[in-house]
Amino acid sequence: MESAVVAEGVVKSFGPIRAVEDVTLHVDAGLTYGLLGPSGCGKTTLIRLILGTLRPSKGSVSVWGQPVPSRAVLSETGYMPQDTGLYMELSARENVGFFARLYGCREQDNVDQVLELMELSHRADSPVNTLSGGMQRRVSLACALVHRPRLLLLDEPTVGVDPRLRAAFWSHFHHLNEAGTTIIVSSHVMDEAARCHRLVLMRDGLLLSEGTPDELQRSVGARSLEEAFLIYAEARGG
Amino acid sequence: MDKGRTWAIALRIVRQFRRDPRTLALIVIVPALVLSLVGYLLRSTENSISLAAVDETSTPGPMLTLLERALGQAGWDLRVLSTEEEALAAVDAGDVGGALILKASGSEGTAAPNVRLVLEGSNPQKSQAIRRVVSQVVMFAGLISPAQLPDTSATGEGVSGQVETTYVHGGPQFDTVDFQAPPLIGFFAFFFVFLLTAVSFLRERTGGTLERLMVTPARRAEVVLGYMLGFSVLAVLQAVIILLVALLVLNINYVGNLGIVFLIVITLTIAAVNLGIFLSTFARNELQAIQFIPLVIVPQGLLSGVVWQIESMPRWLQGVAHAMPLTYSNQALRGVMLEAQGLTSGDLLLNFGVLLVFAAFFVLLSSLTLRQRMD
Repeated sequence: MESAVVAEGVVKSFGPIRAVEDVTLHVDAGLTYGLLGPSGCGKTTLIRLILGTLRPSKGSVSVWGQPVPSRAVLSETGYMPQDTGLYMELSARENVGFFARLYGCREQDNVDQVLELMELSHRADSPVNTLSGGMQRRVSLACALVHRPRLLLLDEPTVGVDPRLRAAFWSHFHHLNEAGTTIIVSSHVMDEAARCHRLVLMRDGLLLSEGTPDELQRSVGARSLEEAFLIYAEARGG
Repeated sequence: MDKGRTWAIALRIVRQFRRDPRTLALIVIVPALVLSLVGYLLRSTENSISLAAVDETSTPGPMLTLLERALGQAGWDLRVLSTEEEALAAVDAGDVGGALILKASGSEGTAAPNVRLVLEGSNPQKSQAIRRVVSQVVMFAGLISPAQLPDTSATGEGVSGQVETTYVHGGPQFDTVDFQAPPLIGFFAFFFVFLLTAVSFLRERTGGTLERLMVTPARRAEVVLGYMLGFSVLAVLQAVIILLVALLVLNINYVGNLGIVFLIVITLTIAAVNLGIFLSTFARNELQAIQFIPLVIVPQGLLSGVVWQIESMPRWLQGVAHAMPLTYSNQALRGVMLEAQGLTSGDLLLNFGVLLVFAAFFVLLSSLTLRQRMD
């Protein structure tokens, strides 16, 4: 299977702090990978290293076989940051249209489609600061999807999102997988982890383990993913 | 370079400001209001001076006649009183800005009287103006004898009828406001564009949109150019409003090409946008961005010749003034609007050239900070 992302021995330090410690990871195309771990464990840093907005202190990252940062790779990558990352005075349509044009795709065709997909059509022309928190998350996701990326990086997309919307997000993610999109999603919510094809457990910048949710649970004989996570964390001296 | 991306960013900035009527009002109404006030105040201090005069010499010389004509020309008011006490009382009550008292000198036979000027003194600008006129009159009176004094009351000519005056630039209709308005156009453009860029770029960084922008395939040059373009629209809009206020409300006199005025304003905008992007990197929140005003804007407002003339500053301050972009835009704007300097004028090309160098330097600084974001 083709590798979407290959990280080899990646270390990232900020001064004396090591945010990511020797991470080696191969992400297969067309699957959803969950980055799982408590906040501050290096998930966001790892996502930024894959995007190329941070350069590794050691090691290398490549996406679709090209070292990052690469403009060609960026144009096929979608990113939804942890904070909403929207222009609050502008309408949902203007936000999505703006990012569509920056990604160089022709505006109307994709914009209307993605707004409809996110069930935003009825509020598409309202300024974002008049929308509810859940709607803002959907606008943010729409901005990341509008250019139909092959690789989607989502940094805690479901924080502060109600259960119904969360379920809708996950069903979108699986539709995208079926269409061939590779998704890397970070979360610290364990019940979301079961919905990922593969999980990457992280703690203190270390990659604890990687595998399908079932594999991770069975190999340590845990009854739940949460228990499995604690066993892995303990084994690494945490 | 993708023009579509640059346009998208420029359009976004214009749209954001259209949705923010308060800020829009700030950049349009505030300069218009301040300029009108400055114009009104500058003109009213010049026009509202009155002076008392007492001649206690036995044989009145030419002094009072000369004074009357000089003041009449400036549109000032002269009150001839009969006693020194009366004059001093008028000064004390604040009815007049000063009193000129002429007394016969002690030695018999000398024509020149003893001249005493009593100033109200609370407004140094008024005091200075009075002293200037009075000393001119005294000097002039010393040069001529009463017999030489031409009888000009019939022709209505003033003192300067004696001195042939021609203006190389401007003319007798030009006043202080005409001199102060051109640099204010540049000052407001620089001030608001700098502040708004710094704050909106800061918002991009704290709101996460800059990170989003940086992971699109957009190039740094496309982002910076989009910003310059978007803010240039605002700056030109502002310059149009200021010019309209200056021309229609204040009735200022100008002689130059307004196209060049806009060219200077746009260059200044480019400098201000990029300085704003660069300095916003050093601010963590809006308050810290505002803190750049006393650091960047106030010294330029004081030293760049908007209010005080650079030539009259101490040498070292003149050096500081010449390290500021507004100094050059002020000289260029005055050159164009007061002296009709065109694109062939060496003075204008020099000022404009230095302004371009400043703009290019700030563009370099701002792209360096954007590059840093990628590391």
